[in-house]
Amino acid sequence: MLTALRAGFRSLGRNWGLVVLVLLANLAFALVLAVPLSLQLEGDLANRGASRAMMYDFDYDWWAQWSEQQRGPSAALAPDLLGTGFALKNVDLLLKGALPAGLFARGSRPSLDATTLGVGALYLLLQVFLTGGLLGVFRAPQGGWTVRGLAHGSGFYFGRLFRVSLLALAAAGAFFALNAPFARWVDGLARDAVSEKTAVALNLGRHAVLLLALVLAHMVSSHAKVMVVREERLSAVLAFLSSLGFCARNFLSALGQYLVVGALGIGLVALFGALDGRLAIVGWRSQLVALVLFEAFVAARIALRLGLLASQVELQQARGR
Amino acid sequence: MRTRTVGVLLAALAGVALAFPGARAASPGHVSTPLPPVAWRDAPGLPPLPEVSPRNASYTIEARLDPEKRTIAGTLVLEWRNPSDQALSTFPFHLYWNAFRNNFSTTARGEGRRAPGDRRREDRTFGWIQVRSVRLLGDAEQDLTPTVRYLAEDGNADDRTVMEVRTAKPIAPGATGRFRIEWDSLVPHGSIGRAGWVHDYHFIAQWFPKIGVFWKGEWNCHPFYPWTEFFADFGVYDVKLTLPRGFVVGATGRLESKTDNSDGTETFRFVQEDVHDFAWTASRRFVERHSRFDDPGYPPVDVRLLVQPEHAPLAERYLEATKTALRTYGTWSAPYPYPQITVVDPAYGSSSVGMEYPTLFTGGASVLAPPELQSPEGVTIHEAGHQFWYGLVANDEFEEAWLDEGFNSYMDMKASDHSLGPGGWGRRHFGDDDRRGGRGGRTGVPAVAPGVRMARGSESLVGLREGGEADVMARKAWKYRDAGSYTLNSYGKPALVLQTLEGLLGEETIVKVLRTYARRYRVAHPTTADFIATVDEVTGQDWRWFFDQTFFSADLCDYAVEVKSEPVRTPAGWFEGKDGKLELRSPRKKDRGKDDEGPFDSRVTVVRKGEVLLPVELRVDLADGRTVTERWDGRDRWARFRYEGAKVVRAMVDPQRKIAIDVDPSNNEWISDERPARRAATKWAARYLFWLQNLLELHTVVG
Repeated sequence: MLTALRAGFRSLGRNWGLVVLVLLANLAFALVLAVPLSLQLEGDLANRGASRAMMYDFDYDWWAQWSEQQRGPSAALAPDLLGTGFALKNVDLLLKGALPAGLFARGSRPSLDATTLGVGALYLLLQVFLTGGLLGVFRAPQGGWTVRGLAHGSGFYFGRLFRVSLLALAAAGAFFALNAPFARWVDGLARDAVSEKTAVALNLGRHAVLLLALVLAHMVSSHAKVMVVREERLSAVLAFLSSLGFCARNFLSALGQYLVVGALGIGLVALFGALDGRLAIVGWRSQLVALVLFEAFVAARIALRLGLLASQVELQQARGR
Repeated sequence: MRTRTVGVLLAALAGVALAFPGARAASPGHVSTPLPPVAWRDAPGLPPLPEVSPRNASYTIEARLDPEKRTIAGTLVLEWRNPSDQALSTFPFHLYWNAFRNNFSTTARGEGRRAPGDRRREDRTFGWIQVRSVRLLGDAEQDLTPTVRYLAEDGNADDRTVMEVRTAKPIAPGATGRFRIEWDSLVPHGSIGRAGWVHDYHFIAQWFPKIGVFWKGEWNCHPFYPWTEFFADFGVYDVKLTLPRGFVVGATGRLESKTDNSDGTETFRFVQEDVHDFAWTASRRFVERHSRFDDPGYPPVDVRLLVQPEHAPLAERYLEATKTALRTYGTWSAPYPYPQITVVDPAYGSSSVGMEYPTLFTGGASVLAPPELQSPEGVTIHEAGHQFWYGLVANDEFEEAWLDEGFNSYMDMKASDHSLGPGGWGRRHFGDDDRRGGRGGRTGVPAVAPGVRMARGSESLVGLREGGEADVMARKAWKYRDAGSYTLNSYGKPALVLQTLEGLLGEETIVKVLRTYARRYRVAHPTTADFIATVDEVTGQDWRWFFDQTFFSADLCDYAVEVKSEPVRTPAGWFEGKDGKLELRSPRKKDRGKDDEGPFDSRVTVVRKGEVLLPVELRVDLADGRTVTERWDGRDRWARFRYEGAKVVRAMVDPQRKIAIDVDPSNNEWISDERPARRAATKWAARYLFWLQNLLELHTVVG
């Protein structure tokens, strides 16, 4: 498992430009919402005393009053994005079923606005599209890639990979559906717990179980995509089933890759939190440093995802598929 | 091995980052300013403190708890002295637990925590109190049981929370009647009301038949409305509690004795003079901690903490917060006179959190308690603080809830701000539910926003903006539009109004007002009018105009500032020349289109957007270095101030933030510099961008 992981990340290292490409795509999507927010904030803070406070720290009074009037994407700007809070917030949103497009959310209250959810869904579609090209690159032992080749591979496999993704979404939907009664049951146990520690453990445990289920769905889906590209599979359904068998036979190795990458991701968040806590953004220079830090983090995160994908290619090759 | 090391490191990192159970909650760099010297018995210029209370409702109670059947069987003897000038023959008693008798009670028909929907209602959440017999003791002993009837002030004939008995012979003014009452109770589950059981944790409050208060010429004994609190007369409580061996018991008052019984039970006897209620708790899980408050000038107090084992690491924070309340409230009003106070950390799942009883109160905490969020400190200071208002001044919480909760919220914010500094902001994730103000359930993992601090009163302003116009603040508690309006008008708004009064009067004067009020009306059931009279007396001014707009109004207050600077005009048009003839002067070309260069004339307009009229200050900083302070009575809709020859750099209405009820403080300050707005916008948009980039990437987990 570790050998495949190392080989996968070496493969990514040979093709590091892919990380930059995905980062640029990610940045472009995010800028679609961030630029209007920046303009709006500049207007709303213009000539306000709060602008100074917001420049140096965070003006709670101003933000509280401002946020009451926000309805669209800007409503997400809140103190919970600070520090490592962004990571907890995002995972919480995932486990509440808000991603993608609020498909699996329970209850009537949306946790994210429709625009943000729409942009997220489009981004997911783009990543599904790019997966074919990326796998095409990782499949080649010598490495090297061109934008044209990437686009060709992406377009060539898109239909089949899209269908695999739909199956993965269906699997995730099934997990969310099963999770609803499970969560009610665990919440009931937690409510009746003698000790709050037990309740905390039960609540965290049920969230962890759901996260694990989603990871398993992703694992099967991702290996199915690798098979579609490596073995030129035509049927998404059969690839999905084959992947299921492969993951079952190589369960520890396949899951182990996720655990290592997940641990690295947590370490990355902790490192980010430590660095971010030491960074006082008060002027353009520190702002630039912060932006570099932000983009470096996102790039590292993308690298982990692509590295995992490459490792899955290596794992299948190593296990004789 | 390496993987294990990484795991251990990550776990340790998470633990340190999320828990901090033993850490202090004070803001970094926060230094408390010195408190004024405490005024105890000897306090020249202040009203004397009463030695004892009127003691006109004293109870001797014997009760037995059966934790298996969840029942209490009790007998009480009430010595009630008629404080009025009328002979009385009808006597109402509160039977609070009948609020949980069925879903037809006045409480259950309402809304709020005590009135869950039928879907959430489990059989175990029902409970009741049933009086077996009522007798008038003494020479004219009489069985009053046949006279029992239930009162329905609100027209709900199904409600059984107020019982009335009638004596054959009236009790004369100043005379004392002795009532003996026997009753049984079924303890409800503690997830709905404050009182109840959760596993072996029992919190027993408002649990015995309690006589109403004869006040202002009539009985004051309201039904248990959905969100109202309590009102009772002072007396001496001598209570024997019998329950199976092994329970740790905490109660109002001091433990006089503990007796082992032959039937495997123990009897605890608690006694307390000069209180108006008695509550107790029992659990085998309690961990006991003790401390002593003995600051110079204050009467010493033993602090007893009964804490859940999982919250034991928070014990020191509980104890310190209790001492903070005793110290700050004690000097700002009048010291706590009882020799002991008991702090109860409720069991998980109990709704008894955050409630006050004489010499005993409940806190509330989470195992994951980062100090920035000031929990359990906040609730501890608040509930300990109730001892000074609810406990010792004892206003009618049914009819003037704000007079206790509002005073206490004002003072707890002041005490927290003084001792701990501004509180942090956080959200809990992966918790049980989202009932706690939309920021995650109690069991969630807290994420504290680094560097975000909330100024005193900030959170209350949010509520005031949203619902401040729904109700006049000073009204009977059950007559507010809904539970939210009750909360705002009993807690947040009065706290902000008193903070505003503090701003207008100054620290020294407000402390004198609080001390005078707290001492004069200790154990005296004061009213809003008494407080206003105290303010007028201490200040020597009539403050009715202020209270009319705040206590007795639903209007909002909002001042804003607008600034316009223009280049000084150069002559253009027809003017009289040196020879007296009209001559045309045209603006010189070099004077046109140079709006950024001086000299300038400036206009600063202070706008009153709300209906509340308060005097305000305006501070204007001019580009030539001058700083001008203006005062405006705030009566008109706006006032304009002109400054010749200089551009305004900064203008700020209410620069010292005296007017805490200003619902939008963000429009109080204008600055000419636009660079901060650009930088701040970029900074926060970048932060949003970063979050969104991560959110987008997270989408790839599904699909």
